[in-house]
Amino acid sequence: MKNLLLTLGLVLAACALSFGVFYALNDEPALRRAAREGDALAWLRAEFHLNDAQFAAIKKLHADYSVVCAEHCAAIMAAQQRPAPPAEIAVLEARCMESMEDHFRRVAALMPADEGKRYLATVLPRVADYDHALAPTVQVHP
Amino acid sequence: MNSSDSDKSLSRALADWRVAPARDPQFRPGVWARIASIQTNPTWGGYLRAHVALLTGAVALAIVAGAWTGRGQARQRVEVERTALATAYVRALDARVMRGP
Repeated sequence: MKNLLLTLGLVLAACALSFGVFYALNDEPALRRAAREGDALAWLRAEFHLNDAQFAAIKKLHADYSVVCAEHCAAIMAAQQRPAPPAEIAVLEARCMESMEDHFRRVAALMPADEGKRYLATVLPRVADYDHALAPTVQVHP
Repeated sequence: MNSSDSDKSLSRALADWRVAPARDPQFRPGVWARIASIQTNPTWGGYLRAHVALLTGAVALAIVAGAWTGRGQARQRVEVERTALATAYVRALDARVMRGP
């Protein structure tokens, strides 16, 4: 009985060791760190394998876009507070969406071609899927 | 004393040497009892050697199962975090989200 239990322990230890090794091999520590810190730019850098120059250029583009984003935000909020007709708000939101998509395309152009395509495939559906429900939770503005 | 004398002396000593152990009636049953005990309660090493094929299979299966679940768990977690970060990244740049009260 004791030998059987020892043998089962050995088999379980082999299973646990194998689990740990393969978990570590398939883990992405940079992504996990970005998630823990809520740092979207760190995620962007790790996810799309950006070098220093590409990352600096994209960071600047985001900083520049934050001004445009703030203008859209102010316009939408002002229209809501008036309150403006829904059609007018819809026009402002469509303009905001168009501006975001342009911005994302400019960001993608700064990435290696394949990564840029993957980036657009990641972000553009999320622009379209906007549901008016969630607030932003990460810092993207530098 | 040369080597030849030494050899003769050793040979004499060995020829005169007699061992007269006391009879132990339990000796033979004791030996069999120990053999039986090893057969019924082998050491762990002996147990493993006796079941080497089964053990090899079980360890191989355990390694494959551990690898499969470890890989799956890590990938699932990475995917959940990736999705959350991508969504949060887009929302952080989305003026439509930044609504007033």
